[in-house]
Amino acid sequence: MATLNANSQSSAFNWRALTGYLPFIVFILMLGYLAVSAPQLLTTDSLDLILRQSVPTVVVCLGLAVVVIAGGDDVVAGGIDLSIPAAAVLAAAIMADQLTNHGTAFLPALSMAMGAAVIVGLVNAFLVVKVAMTPLLATLATSVATVGITKVVTSSRRINVDHPTIVSLRDNELGGLSVGVLLTLLLVLIFYFAVHRSKWGMSLQAVGGNRDAAELSGISVNRMLAQSFILASVAGGLASVFVLARGSGSSPGSEESLLLEMILATFLGAAFSPRRVVTLWGAVLGAVLVTALSIGFKSIGVNVFWTGCIKGALILLVVASAALATSKD
Amino acid sequence: MTENTQVKASSSASLKQQAVGFLKQFGFLLIIAAVFGFFSLYATNFLSSSNLLNIVEGSSILLILALGMTYIVALGGIDLSVGIAFDFGAAFAIVALKNYDLVWYLAVMVGVSGGLLVGLLNAFLVVKLSVSPFMATLGTFFIGSSVQRIFTNGGGPISHRGAPQEFRDLAVGKIAGIPSEIVIASVLLLVYFLFLEKSIFGKRIHAIGMQREAALVAGINVNRYLFWGFVIAGGTCAIGGIIGSANLRMFSPLAGYSYLLDAIAAVFIGASLSRNGRPSVSGTLIGVLFLGMIANGLNLMGLNFNTKDALEGVILVVVLMLAVYQQKSLGKS
Repeated sequence: MATLNANSQSSAFNWRALTGYLPFIVFILMLGYLAVSAPQLLTTDSLDLILRQSVPTVVVCLGLAVVVIAGGDDVVAGGIDLSIPAAAVLAAAIMADQLTNHGTAFLPALSMAMGAAVIVGLVNAFLVVKVAMTPLLATLATSVATVGITKVVTSSRRINVDHPTIVSLRDNELGGLSVGVLLTLLLVLIFYFAVHRSKWGMSLQAVGGNRDAAELSGISVNRMLAQSFILASVAGGLASVFVLARGSGSSPGSEESLLLEMILATFLGAAFSPRRVVTLWGAVLGAVLVTALSIGFKSIGVNVFWTGCIKGALILLVVASAALATSKD
Repeated sequence: MTENTQVKASSSASLKQQAVGFLKQFGFLLIIAAVFGFFSLYATNFLSSSNLLNIVEGSSILLILALGMTYIVALGGIDLSVGIAFDFGAAFAIVALKNYDLVWYLAVMVGVSGGLLVGLLNAFLVVKLSVSPFMATLGTFFIGSSVQRIFTNGGGPISHRGAPQEFRDLAVGKIAGIPSEIVIASVLLLVYFLFLEKSIFGKRIHAIGMQREAALVAGINVNRYLFWGFVIAGGTCAIGGIIGSANLRMFSPLAGYSYLLDAIAAVFIGASLSRNGRPSVSGTLIGVLFLGMIANGLNLMGLNFNTKDALEGVILVVVLMLAVYQQKSLGKS
């Protein structure tokens, strides 16, 4: 009787553990299918293309990962920042406008763009920490306002950019890797050391793990939360450079697909971690895989709108399997 | 002894406390009055009776979506896919008329079923797969947006100039001299008011939103309420979409998205106005009219389209901030 009980318990446990891996398995199956039906995907050229195309998503994912790590991954009360893609697209619009329409040099244009992105982060931090709005509501509101401001900057038109610095991010190579990919790798390392190897990062994780315990041990929870939103907006601002490089300019409405990829990649990344929590590496890996999926579907001729639909379904698969894997019954 | 000093301290501070209490209770009403005063002074014709009617008529569709949102927020969730239900309502109705030549009332029913479908997907995800309402409705939003793009080959509108007059009258007609949009929205308002504020179901819904565990312990079938909440909200939002499509005699993909933040804002403004900081149908009505007033006033001031969009977004952030601030301070006191 006792053994029977133990057996049934352990089989239930295994089933649940399997559910947690489901999105991962589905993902690998999809990529495997794509690799078989489009063998050119596995050439170094197309792997290089995947890395280059994934750069903007990787950078915004770093930002979202930091917010989720600090806020905890309860999606309602915990950390979420829906405004990172909007901030990135606003920064890209400001930079495109400055570089192309006003002939501003690269660094001043970049600092204006970064300034605008950080203002978005400051507003988020204020709304969440001082006003005690839920991050979801606060960042949804700022993202809509940011998109509106972007329309004023661009008059809802596309702005082409052929500034040499932006072009070189995409086209120049160093030791076989594109400059953009190398810079992103550097950024990932900086974020990694900040979050996982520094005292600041330990506090950040403590806040996300148990807010009350962190407060008792003398960490200023509010300050850490505010910093996470500001850091996320910095990531958004930096991503703008890569958004410009990827699209050869700024186009209106590009924030929606970036938002979709960011959320899918970050929460898919949680499926790679042993404890099923959002991590930096998971988010980065998730971003590359999501891009591989997009490029793969494109190369076998799938309508780009179907790709959006599949990604939306994947998000639901990821969160549903995580919810089922951790549910009590 | 200590009691005495406490009483003294409280009586000396009572005037200030009263003032703070007054602001906490009515602060937002003062802001509404100030915005009203501002537009009366600076927006020409703002106060004319025809314009005031415009505000009410222009707010009808938002009110319908905000009612659905009120229901979900009262349950303790959020619905990011109200715009998708709106779009599906519009698309199903227009396609039913154009491609299948249905009678107008059948087309309306087909449209509502489009919204119910969106609600069913949300309900399934939230209740059966225990996905949080936020993630579930965000996923529905992404899928619903893609489906519309696939269906319209990238987002071109589907117009139906030959829509029957009865269908058009849902938006532009009059019932007993009152614009039918206002009549439809008012009927829904009344139904939601009776359901959410006056019935036992409404009491249970608010109980679930406030203390889900307690509601479970008290024997309320929380899952059933969540399920029907999402389904009914989806159907309600579709009615908004049908009126929108009847007005323009076309379905424009993704048009519903522009209502999302307004609907959320209206609910939270309404919650900040109620005594206990809970979402309420009457509060939502005031929130909707307030937002309608801002949109109308900015229009009358003759701003450029992009500037108006940006300004509305920024105003919404500020308004939401004040509303949540007031709601939190109500919850504490």
